[in-house]
Amino acid sequence: MDFSAVGAAAAEALTLASFIGIGGGVLLGYIVGVIPGLSRSVAISIAIPMTFYMSPFIAISFLIGLSKGTAAGSAVSAILLNAPGEASSAATALDGYPMAKKGKPKTALQIGLIASVLGDILATIILIFVAIPFARVALLFGPYEMAAILAFALVFIAGLSGGSIFKGLAAGGLGIFLGTIGLDNQTGLPRLTFGYTELMDGMPLIAVAIGTLALSEMFVQSEKLRYDRENMSVALKKDSSDRITWPIFRNILPTILRGTGVGTFVGALPGLGPSVGSFMSYGMAQKAAKDPETFGKGNPKGIAASESADNAVIPAALIPLFGLGIPGNVSAALLIGAFAIHGITVGPLLLRDNPELLYSIFAGMILASVIMLALGWFGLMFFAQITRVPPHVVIPIVIFFCLAGMMLQGYGTFGLIILMAFALLGYLMKKYDYSFVTFLVAFIITPMLELNLRQSIILSRGNVAILLDRPIALFFIACTALALITLIIRTFRTGKPAANAPAD
Amino acid sequence: MKKLTLTSVALCALLAAPALADDWRPTQPMTMVIGFAAGGSTDIQGRVLARTLEEYFGQPVNVVNQPGGGGAVALTRFMNAEPDGHTFMFGVMLGLTFSPIVTEVEYEIDDFRYAATLVGGQFGVIAAGDAPYQTFEELIEYGRENPMSYAQQLPMDQAIMMRIAEQEGLDLAIAPTGGGGGVAPLLLGGEVDFAFSGGIHSQYVPTGEMNLLAFFTRERSPFYPDVPTLMDLGYPYAMDDYRGFFLPGGTPDEIVQAFENAARFAVEHEPFVQVTVENTQHPIVFMDGAETEATLREIRTANEALMAN
Amino acid sequence: MPRSDFWSGLAVAGFGLLALLWMIPNYAGSNPFARMPPGLVPSIGAWLMVVCGGIVAAKGLVQMLRAGIAPFTADLHWGAVAWAAWPFAYVAVAIWFMSFIKITWFGAFLIGGMLILLGERRWWMILGCSVVPVALLYVLSVYLMRVGVV
Repeated sequence: MDFSAVGAAAAEALTLASFIGIGGGVLLGYIVGVIPGLSRSVAISIAIPMTFYMSPFIAISFLIGLSKGTAAGSAVSAILLNAPGEASSAATALDGYPMAKKGKPKTALQIGLIASVLGDILATIILIFVAIPFARVALLFGPYEMAAILAFALVFIAGLSGGSIFKGLAAGGLGIFLGTIGLDNQTGLPRLTFGYTELMDGMPLIAVAIGTLALSEMFVQSEKLRYDRENMSVALKKDSSDRITWPIFRNILPTILRGTGVGTFVGALPGLGPSVGSFMSYGMAQKAAKDPETFGKGNPKGIAASESADNAVIPAALIPLFGLGIPGNVSAALLIGAFAIHGITVGPLLLRDNPELLYSIFAGMILASVIMLALGWFGLMFFAQITRVPPHVVIPIVIFFCLAGMMLQGYGTFGLIILMAFALLGYLMKKYDYSFVTFLVAFIITPMLELNLRQSIILSRGNVAILLDRPIALFFIACTALALITLIIRTFRTGKPAANAPAD
Repeated sequence: MKKLTLTSVALCALLAAPALADDWRPTQPMTMVIGFAAGGSTDIQGRVLARTLEEYFGQPVNVVNQPGGGGAVALTRFMNAEPDGHTFMFGVMLGLTFSPIVTEVEYEIDDFRYAATLVGGQFGVIAAGDAPYQTFEELIEYGRENPMSYAQQLPMDQAIMMRIAEQEGLDLAIAPTGGGGGVAPLLLGGEVDFAFSGGIHSQYVPTGEMNLLAFFTRERSPFYPDVPTLMDLGYPYAMDDYRGFFLPGGTPDEIVQAFENAARFAVEHEPFVQVTVENTQHPIVFMDGAETEATLREIRTANEALMAN
Repeated sequence: MPRSDFWSGLAVAGFGLLALLWMIPNYAGSNPFARMPPGLVPSIGAWLMVVCGGIVAAKGLVQMLRAGIAPFTADLHWGAVAWAAWPFAYVAVAIWFMSFIKITWFGAFLIGGMLILLGERRWWMILGCSVVPVALLYVLSVYLMRVGVV
């Protein structure tokens, strides 16, 4: 590493302009993340015109800060309102909301924030020191490996669904079915679109996620208002015990480290995305815990696992981007656009031609994490006040933002109808105890799994023996088989999964 | 000189064929529709173009992304836009030259008016830089002895490759990639032997990691004048795509003329040209309204013939 | 809750059957090149729905028979049903409105109306909560995202 370049980079990262740019990005992302209905893609479309006026370094750091801010901010609404702003924060709500209801909203928020920032910083450090030289390792993960990993993720996460396992699998089936709607990825012919042009790209994920996660929750809560008006709002007392303590931190630290590992792995593989990361991490924390039955009832480890992985994915998605020029997920792909606006081609050449810029960006990323910690810590005091606002005031405002958020995405009336249909579906699933988490994960994973499976079958020319040269794929196929067998055994023994995460 | 690439050439054309006068000017903020999500190359070009047009028309230009179906969703909705020039589309021809062939869409070429073309496409055939073949001929030679695999992106490039494979006697497996981002890992990881590039070669060819073997387009790329087209190599197939201003069907002539003149202004405007050529690596190609429509129909006919069986 | 299990399981299995018998054969299309036909993965999802939904429904039915519960209930609380249903109707009407008028123009009434229906009576609260989010949206769409009024 060229140390004069590093010094210059650090110097550029510490100017006032960069503080304002990065801080502004984190703040904007945080606010957009907190408001259910406005997602990361809204934040990015706000940001793109703004970056026209910035220097390349500030523009990129601004965008990375923005992504980090939305990941951390969406945890706030997940914990306080049970209405995650992003699909990737749905796992945070599983334990965050019960914990807040139990009178520990501030602790839950603090755990979420610390897990976010630690996951973020550690993954950034991995990105800087380890990953770029080893980015090529990601190329070992071809279609065979990706298909095996995705199948494993699908079965593993399906095993997490609480309540009746059959209801969970039925929900997963619906997710698989709806996930296949759209153009066939090879012939370009429509599949299950029923003649609607709008369905050609499939059900828009944003509408599905906002509908099942945020809007449906508002309907559930407005129904509860009739019976339970007094106890609805999360009580925010002047409770000095409601804060994170050293024993709690020590308790969740291993979970954070594991979550960061999972998030970094998932992020470094192109295409998987933060939702897979946060749910995998949540499931592994639950499997590893001595007290798996407390998950879903306000276990701090649940929040830590989900948030650390969710945030670790964001820097990790830059590993294949900077190392190979391949974007790890949608946000990373948008960064390519931002680089392009400033005349910079992202890829391995960046390190050779423009090391100062790359090191500045790394320094900016660390700075963004620190700003996020500071901002989040003070913001917490402010956001925790949301819990004082009674739910009957929150509900109409969140519904408004869900509708407005869809309009901002440009999907028009069609998007609103999809949003409404999935809000109804999410409401029914919550009411009748079908796991919407399994549904959503199946919906997200199915298209990727099908594509990779197809590629594998075509490229292997149907020859299964090719897998013998693919130890990584074999390993994950074995894991999938194991997960499948345990799932079946549990199903037939008790009809219930061993783990006891509730469906909502 | 039918189609003009690179700006300096476009400038000569402007001198040769002076812009017709137009009296139409927008009276309120304008909306530019883009049929792709924020961050893609169409979006980047479109957003810079919007600022160029603000300068030209003197009105703010808002950019609205309506992603879906390779531009088909945006075209379907745009068909019913008010034909007063305040809503226009920076459109990609594929939505008109290709989507109607394979899917049922509600619009046709006649439902729109075409003011001008500004940007050309760059569809190429790429292989890994360290592959045992450096040209398309060598690839075919190699393929006669060895089973090959190809990563497709559109049904059209798949159809072309299938026909070439049949003609040359290759044993070719064609895998889908589901979009531009999926090609690079497959090719760099050695999973496929060669692949379709909708523009990613601009990123990897300079590093030596990838090698351009041929272009699908009718004319050679100005950035790689040494790389032949499939037509140069003797295969009667081509795939072209251009980007330009589309207007709703009933738009009056003077408004169409105004957009044509705006396009003349834009292809000379430094920020737009710079972003398009240097950052997204697409050639600037100017065509006037009549030529745009004629080219569109020509490509559509060729695609129909290609997809016929 | 055997009764709700029975009916929800039946609904899921029914949708799965509908998918298997009508949607997939008619709308999945064909792909002569792929070794995985386009109908394969949706069929797997539909089979999961049919089998698992069927099991949930059967279990519910057995429990109902054992406990002697009728499949329908006479003491349905219409008040409760109406209370659960009106927000859906309210939002559905709002969506219908949005195809004519931009949400920015009537968003304040949308929020305000629902606030009143949910029991808020303080006028300053209604005013503040309905105007501020709409103003925020206006700034967001017009000045920050530059997509114009939505």
